[in-house]
Order: sequence, then C-alpha cells, then structure tokens
Amino acid sequence: MKLITLVLAGGRVDELGVFTLTRPKSAVPFGGMYRIIDFPLSNLSHSGIDIVGILSQYNPSELIAHIGSGIHWDIAGRGKGIKMLPPYKGVRASDWYRGTADAVYQNLSFINEHSPDYVLIISGDHIYNMDYNDIINFHIEKNAELTIGFVKVPSKEGYRFGMADIGSDGALADYQEKPEKTKYEWASLTIYVFKTDVLIQALKKNAREKSHEFGRDIIPALMKENAKVYGYKFNGYWGYTKTIEEYFATNMDLLGEEPKINLASWGVKTNIYGRYNHDLPPSMFASTADVEDALLGRGCVIRGKVSHSVLGYNVVVEKGALVKDSIVMSDCIIGEGTVIENAIIDENVRIGKNSVIGEKKITCIGKDVVIPDTIRIGAGCVVWPFTRENAFKEKNIAPGTTVGGEEI
Amino acid sequence: MRKTVGMLLAGGVGSRLSILAKKRAKPAVPFGGMYRIIDFTLSNACNSGVRVLGILTQYKPLSLMDHIGTGAAWDYIGRNKIAKILPPRTGEKEFDWYRGTADAIYQNLDFIRDFAPERVLILSGDHIYRMDYASLINYHKEKNADLTIATMLVPLSEAHRFGIAILDDDRRIVEWEEKPKQPKSNIASMGIYVFNMDVLEKVLKKKLGVDFGKDIIGWMIKNYRVYAYPFEGYWRDVGTIQSYWEANMDILDSNSGLDLQNWNLRTNLLEQRRGDREPAYVGAHGSVINSVISPGCRIEGKVVHSVLSPGVVVGKGAFVHDAVIMHDCVIGENCVLERVILDKNVVVGKDTHIGAGTESTVNKKYGDYLNTGITVVGKGAFVPEDMEIGKNVLIFPNVRKEHYPGKKIECGETIEGEG
Repeated sequence: MKLITLVLAGGRVDELGVFTLTRPKSAVPFGGMYRIIDFPLSNLSHSGIDIVGILSQYNPSELIAHIGSGIHWDIAGRGKGIKMLPPYKGVRASDWYRGTADAVYQNLSFINEHSPDYVLIISGDHIYNMDYNDIINFHIEKNAELTIGFVKVPSKEGYRFGMADIGSDGALADYQEKPEKTKYEWASLTIYVFKTDVLIQALKKNAREKSHEFGRDIIPALMKENAKVYGYKFNGYWGYTKTIEEYFATNMDLLGEEPKINLASWGVKTNIYGRYNHDLPPSMFASTADVEDALLGRGCVIRGKVSHSVLGYNVVVEKGALVKDSIVMSDCIIGEGTVIENAIIDENVRIGKNSVIGEKKITCIGKDVVIPDTIRIGAGCVVWPFTRENAFKEKNIAPGTTVGGEEI
Repeated sequence: MRKTVGMLLAGGVGSRLSILAKKRAKPAVPFGGMYRIIDFTLSNACNSGVRVLGILTQYKPLSLMDHIGTGAAWDYIGRNKIAKILPPRTGEKEFDWYRGTADAIYQNLDFIRDFAPERVLILSGDHIYRMDYASLINYHKEKNADLTIATMLVPLSEAHRFGIAILDDDRRIVEWEEKPKQPKSNIASMGIYVFNMDVLEKVLKKKLGVDFGKDIIGWMIKNYRVYAYPFEGYWRDVGTIQSYWEANMDILDSNSGLDLQNWNLRTNLLEQRRGDREPAYVGAHGSVINSVISPGCRIEGKVVHSVLSPGVVVGKGAFVHDAVIMHDCVIGENCVLERVILDKNVVVGKDTHIGAGTESTVNKKYGDYLNTGITVVGKGAFVPEDMEIGKNVLIFPNVRKEHYPGKKIECGETIEGEG
C-alpha cells in the first residue's frame, strides 16, 4: 500500500485579521512555541507518513522557513520528504490556486510522480492529535473511494461546516456543505482519504466547473455519482482556529490541571531552530514574579503577574505588570505597571509603562508594534502590524477602534 | 582567529563532585537548568570565532560525545568550521591514556598540524565563565608573546589551589609557582593558554613532563616570552558540591555576574530531544519565585530560589527551596526539599522532607565532599513517601525503596544501595 499526503496550508482566512497579514493561518504561532501546522505535521510524523506535499499560496515565506527540510518532524531522508508546492506558471496551468480542489489539481504531477494507491488530504490549520492510520485502515477495510473524517458538533453549529448523516456501516447517507439549518451532528474535519484514481477523475471533471472546493464541489459530486463515500468518526479533541474567538479558546485549552491539549503526551514537534532558539536560556522568575495557570516558552523573564495566559518564547513581563486571560507571542516586552487583559498580542510587540490594553472583548495587537507609555486601548480594538508609537495620537483608544494599517 | 586552532581539554574526572560525576565527565555535568558545564567553553569558542576545535575526551565520554554531536549546535558546521572529538588512541609508541594536559596536546599534534596554524588556544571544559578569546589572542599578538596565560585575581587564601604568576611591569611572567603553599601573589592561572605553534612543538618535544602547569610553564618563563592576560569577570570552578550549588544559585542573583540572559550560551537542543519539550506550565495553585524554570516543567507546588531542568514535575503542596533539580525529576505532593541537588530522573514520593534538621553533621563517609548542609540524590534514585531525610545525606544513583533502613535518615548518612 502506498500513500502520500497533501496538506492544504495556503489559506489566509480573513477572520484572523491582523495575525494573518504576514503569514497563512497554518503558520500562525500557537501554544507558546508552536505554529498551528505543527499539529498536523506531528500527526503525520507519528503516523509514519513519508511523503508530504504542502500546498501554500498566501505569503508563504514564514511557512517555508518554518518547515525547512522537514527534519524536525522526521520526514526527511531517503524516500521521505516534505515538499512545498506553491502555485507556478507552466505551459498550460498558470494560475493562482482557485480553491482547495484546484490546488490539488494543479499538482497532479506531484501525485503522479509517486503513483500512490491512496492520497490523504488534510488541512494545516487545526489543533488535534490523530493517528491517520486509523482512518486509512478504515478506508481500506470498507474498500471506500473516499473517506472523510468527522467529529460530533451541536447541530445548531452546523451552518459553519460540512455536515453529514453517517449510516450504521459508516457509509455517508447524505452530505450538506455549510447548511443554513441541519439535523445532522457530524461535522467534516476536512480530512480526506481518496483512492488515487477516484481523486484524479473527480478533479479532472471539476476542473471544467467554476468552483473548485472539496467541501462544496467534489464531495457533493461524488455523492451524486453514488461513489463509495464513507465517514470516519473521530472522538478526540478538535480545536478550531478559524476565528479570533476560536483561536483564543483553543489556546486556553492548553491550560488547567488536565489540559484538553496535552502537549507532552501528544508529542508535538516544531522547528526548534526557528527563532535563534539556540541562544535562549530557560525562563527566569524574579522575586516579584506571581504566575498562576500559565504556559511559558523558553527565555521568558517574569517580574510581574501572569494569570491564565499563554506566553511564547522570550517574553518579558516587567514589575507591576499584569497579563491576564491573554495570549502573548514570542519576543514581546510588557512594560512596568501595564495591564493586559483579554488580548492577543502577536510577535515582537513592545508595550510601554502603565498602559492598559483590553477589557472584556478580545483586543488584537499585530506583530512588530510599539505602544507607548500610559495608553489605554479599549475592548475589541485592533492594532495593525508595524504600527509605531507616533500612530497613537490619543491616550485613550475607544473600544472597537482600529489603529494603524494605513500603509498596508 | 583564522590562524588559531582551539584544543579543548574535556577529560575531567571531577571526583569532588561525588555522584554527580560518577557516570559522566565533569564537563558533562548538567548546569543552569538546561546546560552542561562544557557549554560555557563551547559557547565562548563559538562566539569568539574559533573555527577549528579539537575536543579531547577521556573519562566516561559517552554523555559528552552525545552532547557535542556534530558540533552544529555551536555553529561548527560547513567547510571551514570543524569541531572534532579526539579520544585517546593507540599508536606504535604512544598507547597510553592522556597522562596530563601537555601529554594530551602532544598526542594530538598531528591533528593541529593539519591546519598549519600560527597559534594554538588551549581551553578546559570545566569552568563557568564568559570570555572573548579573540581579545586574548589580540593581547598575545600585541605583546609579541610565545605563550600567553589567561589569569585572574583570586583571594590570597585561595591561591594555593592555582598556578600563580609573578609579573613585571609589562605583565610578563617572571616567576611561576604551581599550587604554592605560601603564594607570593594572587594572580592565578585559569588554565587557558595561547601558544605560538612553533614554540609549542619545540617545547613539547623536549618532554619536560606531562602537565603544562607543573612541568612546562616554569621552564618556559626563563627561555621564552610568557605573558599574563588579565581576565575580569565571573569565573567559577564548580569542582565541589558546594561550589556547584553556589554557582547555580548565582544565576538567580542579578548582581552575581553570571547572566544566562546575555551570555549567548548555546546547548545541543537535539540531544535527548530537549528542544521538543513543551513550554513550562505553572498551575493555578503553583508559585514560582526567584527561580529558573526550563521547558517541560509542570509546577503545581511552590518553588523558591531554585534551578529546575527540563521536565521536572512539582506536585501540589510541595515546597522546593534552594534546590538544583535536574531533568525529569518528579517531586510528590506535599514534599519539602531544602538545599538539595537531585540528579536526573529522581522520583520523590509524597509527604517526604529532604534536607530536614538544623544541625549540620558532616557526611560520615564522604565528609570531604558533603560538609555544607547540602543533600545530594543520585541519578534515577527513588525516595519513598513519608520519609524524613537530613542534611549532608548522600543517596546513590538507582537506590530503590528496599535500600532505606527506615523512615528517618539522619544528617550525614549515606544510602549506597548496590553501589
């Protein structure tokens, strides 16, 4: 049995706003020291998958740098490898990816080159721990043409997902893409195992159509043709990162005595050379430190208070500062006496003294931002990446305001 | 630097470090949470731009060789940067182990000659310090010296442990005393030498002896230009349990001069998958004050003034104070640990108190090593629940439950298990 994997990692996803300006969603930092794509890549690594192609399109340089040779996930060496598959100009095919199915269609040559029996297609932007051998073996046992992974959700949430009615033998009785209303409870994880020839045929047919998405077009078409489509039920944790609220909530699932996301037992791997990591010491807690229910990357220096928060690498929390219910990514400095609450702060942000950021609704600060002393940034504000001190003309930024971004 | 070959002597036995150096060479002893002692010298070499580094191992080198790996962690990678481990070897004439510092260099002259250097920088892997070797070499060139020895000022009362130099106004060494009973100065050798290559070859061929400090420098000051480079800054030998513990505690003192944040230290993150450790977690009832916490730690209890290596678990209600806790130790609920050093993989059952008692009785069997109140637990040892263990106690590696004579271990006792 030969199988290759394609990871759909190109999307920008507007809902994540300022955090996906310089990177696709799959490259957004998560859980202190990881990026979202580390989770599916670690799953692939643990599942013993040898050949992986990553379909990326939106601003991929951070993603390319992060993935490197694939060695961090042990997918490197003879007969193994992770290959980046960006859009390209060819003799005939010559366009940006127009959808998930088109992205795969434009890379049929990558599939043909390996001539696999099966193709596993996953997306690079979910937080979960899965042994793909389970769904692959299920697919082979059922002699299915397409097997889709599903997880149970409340049916009122169904409007956001591909929803299915799964028969007792596992065969899909019905599939609806983002239905306005549904009574079905099984939501697609966008994990697909295809028989290679079925995939290629479906993609070739779809190429003549106007829309090129697996969920919207390929699955309904196969259902219509009475293809053997099966649903694999996944019972583990599934973390979405599609919206700011989801991204925030999924990060918070790292905390607590028995966290839903158990990084140690999941064995999540990342590119440990990503950001001059060699030079970072362990984290230092000063005599004024007060930390409870918090995850901290290496190289943090804590002189203030941190509560119910996730901190990346090399974050400094100065004396008298408070970081509460927040995500602070790597290389940030939180100045003396500054209070951060309900905020997501991207990498390399410097915040001055005695400022107040966020309240009840999540406040988002983009990367490489400098915020001066004694600024008050209200709930739900958004500060664009690369915003500097001089953009903060007033001391009080009213709730819901957007700061910066004019030049972008 | 291009014309300099570095030779790092990493053979150290470290017998005064007791069971911490029983199964590993002294340079391989863990330090500062996630480092090993040799990381300080390797990082200095890397940060100073030393391009070729021979690393001489001898005593229990496995941990050390694992740790150094290809040398890539310290940027020894590519065509022009080489870190090579040089174990003792058998030859037609020389089939012996390295018998001393000079002998170790002598046996590896062929390695050095391959690079045709003008100078050889000789380092030791035993010390905690930061030094720019480029500045040492510039000094050597400026003084037009044949040999330059890095020196520092030590308290006169300590001088008897070092090679001691007496200088003229130009800092040329005019007199040399190796570990003198009554030292004439407090300018002490750090065991760091820069030799001109031609001089080194000539001198070693004279077979004056096997050790630079004891046999060679004293002769050289009469026949060559030997200078003393003044080093100022933090330097520790960490050769004893007390000094090892103190140096770890120095990390927590912002005035000590030992500054992990700014020393650009590197370690091998690939060794034992250390880089894969998840971020540290401090629980809702946990508390960490004035301490170093490494990745993979889970702290549900209270940690004060301590240094924790990766993967340490501190249970609820436990109190860890003035402690050095190495990789993957598990401290049970409601334990109290005071002034202890736990080597890797120690498991302490709940409700146990280690470092109990106020009286400091010197360790009865190993009083030379354990005499300042610190209790040391060896690698992989198990400490059962509900125990009371005193100060200056030594618990050997891999000790099991059945090796303890009772629930109370008095100060100064030793639990050897099967040895």
